[in-house]
Amino acid sequence: MTVLDDTPAPDDRPPPDGIPASEVAARDVTGREAPASAATTREVPAGEVTARLRDVHKSYGPVRVLDLPELDLHAGQVVGVVGENGAGKSTLMGTLAGSVRRDGGDISIGGKPLAPGSTEAAAALGIALVSQEFPLVGQLSVAENLLLGRRPRRSRRRLLVDRPALRREAVEMLAEIGLPAGAVPVGRQVRTLPVPTRQMIEIAKAWGRRPRLLILDEPTSSLGPVEGAHVLRLARELAARGGTVLFIGHRLDEVREVSDRILVLRNGRLVADLTPEEASEERLIREMVGGEVAHARPKAEPTGAPVLLSLRDLTADGLGPVDLDLHAGEIVGVAGLMGSGRSRLIHTVAGAQPATGGRMTIAGSRYRPHDPGDGTAAGIAMIPEDRKEQSLVVFAPIRSNVTIPILRRISTRGLLGPRRERAEAERITASVNVRMRSVDQPIGALSGGNQQRAIFGRAFATDPRLLLLDEPTRGVDVGAKAEIYELIDRAAERGMAVLVASSELEELLWICHRIAVLNHGRLVDLIDRAEATKERIMTAAAGTAPIVAVPGGGPEPGPELGPEQAPEHVSEHVPEHGDAS
Amino acid sequence: MTAQSTLTSEDAPPRGAPAALTRVLRKLAESPEAGVIIACVLVFAVIAANAPTYTSVGNLQVMGRDLAQVGILAVGESVVILTGGIDLSVGALAGLAGILTAWFNVNQGLPAPLAVLLTLLICAGVGFWHGVMVTRLNVPPFVITLVTYTVAQGLALAITTGTPINGIAPLFSNLSQYYIGRVPVPALFFLGAVVIAWFALERTYVGRQIYAVGGNKEAARLAGIPVARRVTSAYVASAVLAGVVGVLVIGRMNVADPSVGSGWELTAIAAAVVGGVSLFGGEGRMVGIAAGAILLEFIANGLLALHVNTYYQTVVQGAVLGAAILLDRLRARFFGRIRR
Repeated sequence: MTVLDDTPAPDDRPPPDGIPASEVAARDVTGREAPASAATTREVPAGEVTARLRDVHKSYGPVRVLDLPELDLHAGQVVGVVGENGAGKSTLMGTLAGSVRRDGGDISIGGKPLAPGSTEAAAALGIALVSQEFPLVGQLSVAENLLLGRRPRRSRRRLLVDRPALRREAVEMLAEIGLPAGAVPVGRQVRTLPVPTRQMIEIAKAWGRRPRLLILDEPTSSLGPVEGAHVLRLARELAARGGTVLFIGHRLDEVREVSDRILVLRNGRLVADLTPEEASEERLIREMVGGEVAHARPKAEPTGAPVLLSLRDLTADGLGPVDLDLHAGEIVGVAGLMGSGRSRLIHTVAGAQPATGGRMTIAGSRYRPHDPGDGTAAGIAMIPEDRKEQSLVVFAPIRSNVTIPILRRISTRGLLGPRRERAEAERITASVNVRMRSVDQPIGALSGGNQQRAIFGRAFATDPRLLLLDEPTRGVDVGAKAEIYELIDRAAERGMAVLVASSELEELLWICHRIAVLNHGRLVDLIDRAEATKERIMTAAAGTAPIVAVPGGGPEPGPELGPEQAPEHVSEHVPEHGDAS
Repeated sequence: MTAQSTLTSEDAPPRGAPAALTRVLRKLAESPEAGVIIACVLVFAVIAANAPTYTSVGNLQVMGRDLAQVGILAVGESVVILTGGIDLSVGALAGLAGILTAWFNVNQGLPAPLAVLLTLLICAGVGFWHGVMVTRLNVPPFVITLVTYTVAQGLALAITTGTPINGIAPLFSNLSQYYIGRVPVPALFFLGAVVIAWFALERTYVGRQIYAVGGNKEAARLAGIPVARRVTSAYVASAVLAGVVGVLVIGRMNVADPSVGSGWELTAIAAAVVGGVSLFGGEGRMVGIAAGAILLEFIANGLLALHVNTYYQTVVQGAVLGAAILLDRLRARFFGRIRR
C-alpha cells in the first residue's frame, strides 16, 4: 500500500523556524540535577486556552475511570500529568485524541467543539498523540509512515506517489525534531528499526502535523537518556512556539523538569494542580496515592510453611534477574508500573514465556517448563489478566469453559459424557458461587465478576499447589472484588502459594503477606505486610530512589543497567495490556 | 479494555420483542442446527412436490452416493475449521488418492487392500505435514493447503499423463456400487464418518479440547492443552477422509480419472458453513455439518430434477451459502455475541 491520500494538513502554520539540529541539541534545558531552577527560567505567560474540558467523564462498566468537572489547558505550556496505574491518565489522553469515546461532557479546542470518539475530528483540530504503542505500519518505509494519510506538501502530482518529494519531506520532518539527515534511513522498513528509533519516528510524525495540542504518553519510557532528554527539549520548544504539550510521565523527575504545571490524577479525578516549585517528589507521590493510609487488615502469617516456589536469578525477555521464595499458604504480591514485568514474571513461572536464565524449583525439585502444559503438570494454575483474550471461549457455554483444564482428568479412558461434564461444571460453579441460570449459558453473558469467579473455580478444580494471578479483579465491580479477595484468601488457607500481580496497590496491601516490587523487570524491593505502604511501593516502582538491597539475594545494579538506562520495553511477546489509566 | 462483557445482566432479553417470541427465537438461534434441519425438510418437500422423479429410489440412491463424496470431505473439513484453520487441499487430495490407489493396484500390481492402506498412509502424512507447518512454522493454513492443492492436482495428472487408469480390482466397485438393503454402501460410509466424528468431537476429551483450541487458542494454551497436537490431528483427520473419498470415487466410476475432485473443497467448506460452523473456529456441531451437506445435495440434485438451466445451478448454490452466512451473522448480532 503506497497510496497516500491527500488529507490536507490540519494547520497551515509555517514549519518551525529552522533551528539547526546542532543548536537544538546544544540548548541546555534538561539539567537533571537542577529541575527547580530550570522551571524558573522558562516563565511563559499563560496564553489563551487551547483546550477547555467541562464535565468530561468516562466509565468502563461500573468503574468510573475519568471524571473531570473542569480543566483548561493553556497555550505555551507543558502540562505534566502523573498518577498511579489506573488513575485515568491514558483515558484522559485517549479522550482528547479521540481514541476513547467519552461518556459525556464538552471539550473545545481553540474554541471549536471536539466531537467525541473520533480520531479524525481530533486530528483536524490540531491534536496529535504519541502513544506507548506505536501505530506505525511496519511494512512501510520510514518516509511513508511519516506521511501516512497525507501527501507531501510541495508535491505537484495529484494522483501518483511522488517519491522524491516524499523522501525530501520525510528528511525535513526528521530534521525538525533534530535528527540529522542520514541518522534514520527514510527508505528502510519501519519494522527493521529498533524500538527507540520507532519512538522517534512516531514523534516526528506527530510533530510534522504541526499540532496545537501535542500529547506525549510516557514518550521517554522506551528511549535511552540522550533521546529522552531530546524529547523533553522538543516539548519545551513546541510550548515556546505557542503550542500546548500534555506530557504523561512515569518518571517524576522528568515530569518536574519539563512541566510548567503538573496535574495529579487519582481514581479518574484531578486531585492536585501544582506548579513545578510546589511539586516535590514527596508531594507528588503523596497526592498520587492519596492522603489516607490504606490499612492492612490483620492477617495470619503462614508460619513455618515450607518454601514451595523458589526463583533464583530468574531472567526472561524483559524480566529479571528475580530472586524470590514463596511459601505454601502465602500470598505474595507483585507491584510495578506498566512495563515493569509484572505479567512477564507470572507468565514465565507459568511456562507461557520462556525463561532465559536462572533456576526455578517447585517443592524442592527443579522446574523447567517449556509450555504451560508443564506448568499445569507441576501443579500450577494461572489466571491471566485478560479474561476475554486469554481465559475464555466467550461464545461457548459455561459448562465447556470451566472444564477446559480438567477435560482429561474427568474423562474415563478418553471418553467424556455430557452428564459427567455437566455434573463437574455444576460442582465447580457452585464451589465459587457463580450466579447464572444454567451451565449451558454462554459464559460471555455473565457479568465480569461472575466470569472471574468461574475462572477461579476452574483453577481450583485442577487442585493446584501454586496459584498465579494477573490482575485478578480487573473489570469487576466493587462487590465482586471483595468476593474474589475471599477466594484468594481461601486458596492460601488451603495451602496454595499465591503469586498475584496487580496494578492496584490497595488490592495488594489488602490481600498480600509480602509485596515484591518490580522496576524495569528487576526486583527492587520486597516488603513485608507490616511495613508496606503505598508510598514505599511507589517510590521503589517509580525508580528514582536508589535500588535497595533486597533481603534474600537482591539484584546487583550492574553498571550497564542503571536506572538511567532502562532496558527497552519489548511489548511483543507478553502483551501487558494497558491499564485503565 | 476488558472492563465488561457486552451483556451484564444474566438474562437480558433483547428489548422490544415479545417474551414468547424471544424464547422461541432464542431456542432456534442457540441451536443453528435446528435451522438447517428445518431447511432440509422444507427444500426436500418443495422439490419433491414439483419434480416427480426426485423421490424415486434410484434418485435417492444417487444422492446417497454423492453424499459419500462431498459429505465425507465436509466432515474432515469441519474438524479443521473448528480449530480455526481451513483445508483447501481436500478436493485435490481426494482426486490424487484415487489415482494413487489405482496406480498402486494396476501399475504396481499391489493387491487392492494394500493399495488402499498405502494411499491412506500417504494422505495421513500429508495431513501431518499440514499440521506441522501450521503449528510449528506458523504458516497460514490457507497457504500451506493451497500448496498441496496445486501439487496434488499436478501429480494426479503427471502420474496418469492425463488419461484415466482402467482395470482396477473389482473390490473397489463392489465397495462403491453395492447396497445394504437398498442403501448404497458409500452412503453408509458418510453416516459412519459423521457418527465417528460426532463421537470423537463431543464424547472424548480430545474432541472437547479441539473445540477449546478453536474457540480461543491462547486460553487453551494457557490452560495447558497441547494445542499443536490437537491442530495437527485435525489436519490428519481431514486428509485421511479425503483419501477415503478418493477410494470410493474410483469404485463408483470403475476408473481412476485425474480430473476428479476439483472444486469439491469449496462445496465441503460451504456445507460446513451452512451447517453452522464458524470460520473463526470453535463453533459448530456434527449434526449441523451433516445437515449442511445433505441440504446442499438436496439442492444440487433438486436443480437437476427441476431441469434448471445448468448455468444457474451454481448461482443458486452460491445464493444459499450467502443466505446462510447472512442468517448466521444476524443470529450472532441478535445475541450480541462477542466475535473477533
